[in-house]
Amino acid sequence: MAATTLPARASGPSLMARISRATPYLLLLPGVAYLVVFYAVPSFQMFLYSISTGNVDSGYQANAGLANYATALQLYTRQIWNSILYGGLATILTLLIGFPVAYTVAFRGGRYKNLILFLVIAPFFTSFLIRTISWKILLGDEGPLLGTLKHTLGILPADFSLTGTPIAQLFGITYNFLPFMILPLYVALEKIDPRLLEAAGDLYANRVASFRRITVPLALPGIFAGTLLTFIPAMGDYVNAELLGNPTTQMLGNVIQRKLLVQNDFPVGAALSFILMGGILVAVFVYARLLGTEQLTG
Amino acid sequence: MNDPLARLSEAPLSRRRFLQASGLVGVSAFLAACVGGAASETPSTTGTPAPSPTAPPTPTPAPATPKAVTGPLHFANWTAYIDLAGKAGEAGEYAPGSSPTLEGFKKKYSVDVDYQEKIDANPSFIATIQPALNNGLSTGWDLIVLTDSFAAQLIGKGWIEAIDHANTPNCVQNLRQPLRGVSWDPDNNYHYPWQSGMTGVGYSAKALTDAKIAAPTKVADLWSIPSNKVTFLEEARDTFGLTLLKLGIDPNPDTVTEADLQQVYDAIEPLVGQGLRFTGNSYLQDFGQKKVWAAMVWSGDLASSGEPDDKFVFPEEGTMIWTDNMLIPKGAQNKYTAELMMDYVYDPAIAAQIADYVYYVSPVEGAAEVMKTLDPTLLQNPLVFPPQDVIAKQKNFQFLKPEIEAKMNDLFGQLSGA
Repeated sequence: MAATTLPARASGPSLMARISRATPYLLLLPGVAYLVVFYAVPSFQMFLYSISTGNVDSGYQANAGLANYATALQLYTRQIWNSILYGGLATILTLLIGFPVAYTVAFRGGRYKNLILFLVIAPFFTSFLIRTISWKILLGDEGPLLGTLKHTLGILPADFSLTGTPIAQLFGITYNFLPFMILPLYVALEKIDPRLLEAAGDLYANRVASFRRITVPLALPGIFAGTLLTFIPAMGDYVNAELLGNPTTQMLGNVIQRKLLVQNDFPVGAALSFILMGGILVAVFVYARLLGTEQLTG
Repeated sequence: MNDPLARLSEAPLSRRRFLQASGLVGVSAFLAACVGGAASETPSTTGTPAPSPTAPPTPTPAPATPKAVTGPLHFANWTAYIDLAGKAGEAGEYAPGSSPTLEGFKKKYSVDVDYQEKIDANPSFIATIQPALNNGLSTGWDLIVLTDSFAAQLIGKGWIEAIDHANTPNCVQNLRQPLRGVSWDPDNNYHYPWQSGMTGVGYSAKALTDAKIAAPTKVADLWSIPSNKVTFLEEARDTFGLTLLKLGIDPNPDTVTEADLQQVYDAIEPLVGQGLRFTGNSYLQDFGQKKVWAAMVWSGDLASSGEPDDKFVFPEEGTMIWTDNMLIPKGAQNKYTAELMMDYVYDPAIAAQIADYVYYVSPVEGAAEVMKTLDPTLLQNPLVFPPQDVIAKQKNFQFLKPEIEAKMNDLFGQLSGA
């Protein structure tokens, strides 16, 4: 018996061992396959479009080189800046608004913690579109806010508008992405050991110092995650510009939507998509380097 | 008073009121429009030039449709483009907000109709069906309504089912003479007009009075109203056509030059910086919310669905004229039912019933006769029967040369921000 089994063992690891070694890969398989089929392949296709000339009817020839990128950068400079401007400002605003909220929930939430967190998530029970259209109504020229300010209080001129202005668009983006900032911030702040703050107090650090030296550094992973979760989709957003903005506030997402879905200009649309993707990658990379990646994973 | 038509004519005000009271109607229509192509309220252009009007597709003999009524009929149309029950509904004949025309059709053929106000502007709607048509798939619609050049473009691409004229005797017989023999489909193998209309200027009399601004009488007056209270149309042909008129240039597709279009751009561009926006039918919502004081609008909408003091004027410079056409997209699941619907709305009595609500120009011969008894005031209504001096100044800016269209779309894209 022993003599017959030994050579088999010597020839390699047992079946069980092989399976257990392969397990991580097997577990990765569905996710990787999904990404390949629905992300890598379409991305490659889009990349081919972005260096092509032609149209839907006559087909595409990958002979344009970087001409589409040059066209895109040249024609849509304003929309690119708008994306950076509105995406960036909205991220800063969500951080300024979200941090106090997350801080309060984490340290002062008490038994209302879960309720408040539920309220933060509650808007997600309604569609993104409906929430944005509600803003259109709330900020409407004769809506509850402006109607009162114009007619009851008489402090605003009759032709004053919020909808169709940069302000409304910025408010809309900020509102829509606020929960994506609050939740990671909360997770990070919640993990902070309150005894660290007590210790700081014992060592004669005032509140400002302990906030700056302890709370903020420990919240950094949350700030990092929150800003990414807000900035990346906010850069590519087009719904808010569409519903709350005006022709001068359109963002890259609006151009891409129209290029690909309305005008059938796949090459320039694809080039714009890659410009957006590349821009975000660079921004995230620089941001991560500035914050220091060790702190974020540690 | 059992005649529903008679009841319908009783209270135009209440019908309007009904629409406003349910201000959600506009919102829901808008939402519906958003679902397909994401936010479809897009100021947009189309990159594909219309086929030359001189080259209609070879008329293929229409294959006989299996004569089985199937449903529900998926019917996509523009906002405020069919009769809705108001007071008649309160009396119990039709549910408020339901359409007597559609209800009559359902009853007559025992089939359901899924009617959706899904079209806000041609390009944005075509964008939602184009991918399916491109890949030979069904669009999900059985009947759609598109404006001349866009209808011609889809027919030219072979994306429209041929109509079996055996199923549409009313259409064959009652289509008004001036609408017959169009270059892009001379024998109506693919289309029948739904309504014709004009593009002009609309305004809210109350808002302008409150702001002490004189009511506009010409396109040029839109330039002297605060731009953040003005919208132009995202149909580039309308916006460019009317602006050409304002500049004193004849919007004649044969003579317009790229330099003329550049002048239009130069005239509109400063307004964009001051808050001008471009919309489709959703200007009705903007009027309802007093977001807009004056706008480029389509002729019947404010009369049917605006407030009583929302007015339409035929601008002194002239108007744009166009026709919206019923088409059956390729792959329609209920083609025979769609043909029955075309036939049904070409019954003069039904055509009159629709005209009495939407205030557009009916394409149906004999509708005027019915209107005499249905609602005699309609015969005097310049929206439904434009007077001679208006007709004299109607301009058709639909079929453009490819290079002109490309230039216009390019300039319009820059104006609308994409």
